[in-house]
Amino acid sequence: MDKKPKIGIFSLTSCEGCQFALLDLAEKFFNFTKKTEVIDFPLIEDEPFPEDIKLDVAFVEGTPITSDNVIILKKIREETKLLVVIGNCAALGGINKIKNYQDKDKIVKRIFRAANAVDNPKIRSVSDFVKVDFTIPGCPINGEEFLAIAEELIKGNIPKIKEKPVCSECVHQGKETCFLRKKELCFGPIILAGCKAVCPASDFPCYGCRGVLKNINPKGFLAALKKISSSEDIKADLEIFGIKDDLEKFL
Amino acid sequence: MGKIIIPHIHKIEGKAGFWAEVTEKGEVTDLKINTLLGLRQIESILIGRRFWEVPLVAARICGICPVVHILNCCCAIEKVFEVKVSETVVLLRKVLLASQIIQSHTLHLFFMTLADFSNIENDMDLLKKFPKEAEASLLIRDFSLKITKIIGGREIHPMTIKVGGFTKLPKKESLEALLKEYPKVFEAALVLAGLFKNLVYPILERKTKFLSLASKTEYPFYYNAKVVIGGKAMTIGDFYSNKIEEDFKTPPVKKVKYQGESYMLGAIARISNNRQLLNREAKNVFTDFEKKERKNINNVFYNPFYQAVEIIHFLEETEKLIKEIMERELVETQKEVKISKGSGLSAMEAPRGTLFTYVEADKNGRLLDCNIITPTAQFLNNLEDDLKAYLPKIADFSHEEKVKKIRALIRVYDPCISCATH
Repeated sequence: MDKKPKIGIFSLTSCEGCQFALLDLAEKFFNFTKKTEVIDFPLIEDEPFPEDIKLDVAFVEGTPITSDNVIILKKIREETKLLVVIGNCAALGGINKIKNYQDKDKIVKRIFRAANAVDNPKIRSVSDFVKVDFTIPGCPINGEEFLAIAEELIKGNIPKIKEKPVCSECVHQGKETCFLRKKELCFGPIILAGCKAVCPASDFPCYGCRGVLKNINPKGFLAALKKISSSEDIKADLEIFGIKDDLEKFL
Repeated sequence: MGKIIIPHIHKIEGKAGFWAEVTEKGEVTDLKINTLLGLRQIESILIGRRFWEVPLVAARICGICPVVHILNCCCAIEKVFEVKVSETVVLLRKVLLASQIIQSHTLHLFFMTLADFSNIENDMDLLKKFPKEAEASLLIRDFSLKITKIIGGREIHPMTIKVGGFTKLPKKESLEALLKEYPKVFEAALVLAGLFKNLVYPILERKTKFLSLASKTEYPFYYNAKVVIGGKAMTIGDFYSNKIEEDFKTPPVKKVKYQGESYMLGAIARISNNRQLLNREAKNVFTDFEKKERKNINNVFYNPFYQAVEIIHFLEETEKLIKEIMERELVETQKEVKISKGSGLSAMEAPRGTLFTYVEADKNGRLLDCNIITPTAQFLNNLEDDLKAYLPKIADFSHEEKVKKIRALIRVYDPCISCATH
């Protein structure tokens, strides 16, 4: 029998929702893990990461915030062939990154007066610390999409997520109910699809948790948005899921 | 003098470690639960932001209980703006909250705590040893997630709940389909409770105070104006403002004490305070257990069993609520929200205990202050006190056995470190 690929599922600082998105798949997820050897998954297993085993694929959720987070992340990078980040926190800093747009030293003092005892770095993505081989985006990730991608990754293939906008999957596309047609803000046209436009389907606009499309020039779109929303609000909206940095030069 | 150190407690939500110094007789001279997640400063980053972002961002405090964070934020902001949502909205939100508790409890019971009472380290092996109960757990979980998705739009970080109501209401056919599925899921909950009723638990009963919301008419879980602690009822405002202190000196967690002492919350506290209000079958299962275990009824190791009782209770509640909703028209219920300055406090029962959310907004609806007191931040002191009381009882055990028992005690609390260190 062929040796099963070895995987690990790790979490830095986050809500851990992306790991729960996997557990929520229930049998489908357990069937996937049967094709692999799960070396470490602290959320549901007690055995710690063994020293001498190399991983084929490591899935990493969360933002590196504490110095321990950074040490563990670097160790994972050393121990694995492929490092795959899952979710908005790992990919783009997540909601944690809102802090970057305020005075972080003042912020921490709002709650903890003895603040020197706590890690309070500028929020950065995992890829700012180590080489990332693949990103599964979203807040949280879509479990089904994870499975499709992970099946390829454990075979050693690096798949591609099609560069299409969220609108291409949206129930409101071309209809009067489209947020933009109603002159309400929605980032759908410039955001990577694959989520099945789950937010607009719930009559909630897209705030871009999956990140900005790579093959587009968003300048015209952002200029058009200014007709329906103030510059200040657009900027604040882009800050929620950490996509403002990528668009700064077009604003 | 010896040290007991467990660098990582696995199989809990988030990361934590355990550290204690113990004399040879087993007396504890120092003991700490160390939370190992970074501080995301979710309350602080919300200051200055627009009110509608609060539920969206606060949901991300926790991937296992985002629903209750969203509901409590919306309810607190509705108090700021003095918005009264419709009865239908309240009913739908209650169903969502019930689904949240069922989902979280089921995950904790089968995947996190069961192994500690059956000598299994790996969950994949649990599936083999308890196939019937595994199937029951997955069925219950799947059902509760389906409810969250139908009403909330998505299982994790649902987006339909908003200040004033919902962005979109569910279809009656979807709710009807849930009712059809209900009997099978209810049976599964009885199977799961049967398993947890008959496990062999260690005994640890230390005198403490139980906190929960208080109500005379229903087993309290959605917003209530009163809490009860150690038999004493008071308004949530009085409890929040005058009776508890948060420790701001030990980041990343603000540990909470009630008048200088630790206290307990969650399933064991809720049932202890409100047992007469449990739904029929939940009450039957609990009463049966109580007859047998009366003298140790407040044994903290029973918390998983109490969660199993609550799963039955909240399933029964779900059926009742959905039937009530089915008799109503599900049409646009969004109340117009008039932004005004002010402050609001809301309290709801999260899976692990009473969650307090306080917000203050300016006249433009931007946040001036935000404080979220999570259940885990409240019970960490109680957990440490319980561990201090428990270690002398296991002083004769081997180091390995001690570590197992300590982990088991920590896990019956079902701590959520993401919530504690937000």
